[in-house]
Amino acid sequence: MEAVRRSARVRTRVKPYLYILPMSALALLFVYYPFLKTVIYSLSVVNAKGEIVSFAGLSNFAYLFGRREFKAALSNTLTLAFINVPVTLVITIALGYLASRKRFLSPVYESMFALPVAVSMSAAALIFKVLLNPTAGLVNYLFHLDFGWYQDRNTAMAGILLLTVWMGIGLNFLLFLSAFRAVPQDLADCAYLDGANEAQTFFRIRLPLIAPTILYVSCTNMIQAMMTSGPILVLTQGGPSRSTTTLVYMMYTSGYSSANYSLAACVSLVTFALTLVITLALYALQERRRDSQ
Amino acid sequence: MSLKAKRRLQSALVQALCLALGAAVVFPVVYGFLGAFKKPAEFAAWPPGFLPDSFLNTENFRYVFQAAPMLRYLFNSLLVATAGSVLRLFFALLAAYALTFFEFKGKKLFFILMMGTMMLPGDIVLITNYQTVSAMGLTNTYLGLIIVSLVGASQMFMLRQSFRQSPAALREAAFLDGCGDLRFLFSILLPLSVPVLVTLFLQSFVALWNVYLWPLVITSVDSMRTVQIGIAMLTTYDGTNFHTVLAGVTIALIPIFLLFLVLRRHIHSAMTAGALVG
Repeated sequence: MEAVRRSARVRTRVKPYLYILPMSALALLFVYYPFLKTVIYSLSVVNAKGEIVSFAGLSNFAYLFGRREFKAALSNTLTLAFINVPVTLVITIALGYLASRKRFLSPVYESMFALPVAVSMSAAALIFKVLLNPTAGLVNYLFHLDFGWYQDRNTAMAGILLLTVWMGIGLNFLLFLSAFRAVPQDLADCAYLDGANEAQTFFRIRLPLIAPTILYVSCTNMIQAMMTSGPILVLTQGGPSRSTTTLVYMMYTSGYSSANYSLAACVSLVTFALTLVITLALYALQERRRDSQ
Repeated sequence: MSLKAKRRLQSALVQALCLALGAAVVFPVVYGFLGAFKKPAEFAAWPPGFLPDSFLNTENFRYVFQAAPMLRYLFNSLLVATAGSVLRLFFALLAAYALTFFEFKGKKLFFILMMGTMMLPGDIVLITNYQTVSAMGLTNTYLGLIIVSLVGASQMFMLRQSFRQSPAALREAAFLDGCGDLRFLFSILLPLSVPVLVTLFLQSFVALWNVYLWPLVITSVDSMRTVQIGIAMLTTYDGTNFHTVLAGVTIALIPIFLLFLVLRRHIHSAMTAGALVG
């Protein structure tokens, strides 16, 4: 009897751990362990098989910072992120606001604005490859341009930006649409009664009320933009002449294609740290604005 | 003009503007679909056209199905997205249950560790994860394709929020009737959580269907490629086979478009759900 009761007690003590075991094991194995390994790799001399040969201190970072490819990747990634995020914000806030009041044709244009959410990155990239082709594509012809787009170092990044902004429209529009719809209508009505015009109600009432969504969209888009690599892999392989190399693309080529694991580890840590700092700064900026109001 | 007429006019103008902007947003996709019906000569012509000469030209689709194992790609993507989402939700479900109904040592630590995984984008550990998974012998396997995406911290969080709203008396009553934890979870709690589960499943399915970088590194044989990788590989070395590439793109987009068409409301709310909890 005593033994039975004890085994039952052990069972209830052990049970919670069985429930959390799969997730804990997976998180340790595929999130924390590889991150720790990345940190160790970045401080070591690692051979092409991934074996640690010796301690390297910060020399890997020194080597990385001296490389011209890294400077290009860093500046391209930051350019991409700091253009993509505000442009996406302005476009999707505008679309969300325009569509916020339910009208007769709402279901039609809501679906149209949301459509990019259903288009995968590689499908979108391939469509833009054709669309922006200098001779076969429609864009140069329609807008009377003679850009080389992905084939020209001066316009390749602009082409990547067009694509990434377009890809972000769907989801972010949906987020802003539901945020605007959650703003209580009587607040705006009060403002109208007090003689405020449309622009004033927008900037003084609606926009401040959707601030949490703006912060969320800025942060998620910033992280995504800092991690850009897919469109580069599909469209440009970092070229022409490094004009579209990004940090994660460089990490991929140095780690996967060239088996230079310590270099890849340094790139990914720099990307991680930079992304974290920028995201925290966005958060702090928002907090300060809220306090000053 | 009366106020009512003015309102009406304004509404019509807003809707017209929205339709025009909407047309601009969907333009690339429409252009891609139409391109799938064009002949190579139509891409070589100047000025470039918008509509294909004939919609009866299905040559490109036939070519794509012949040249690449398109059906296999689609099947792989479907399997990866479905199995990955189901497993991810299953593990998240167990963890969320433990967090809601059990008291145990290390509970807080577990919660913090799980939420911490959301701080780390998967791309950052791509190379080291590749080493782990290939050392496990899982390159070119379905398990290898999904294993790194099974940690669903945000899913766990959402499920915990949902479980917390179930009345405490429910569990007590079930237990008095001789129900155990697993049975309570799967035959009572689960049916009650269907809406949130659908949301989380759709979110996860779309994300796994679209993933690119991981399947690219973990597969090397044609038969294990997902459709996202497969269509990008349709580009030839000189990159001028626009007609077949766009046919591949169209084939890849159709299943997910159908899903969106059927479940539009669900997916739109699934996409925005949880935006303000993280």
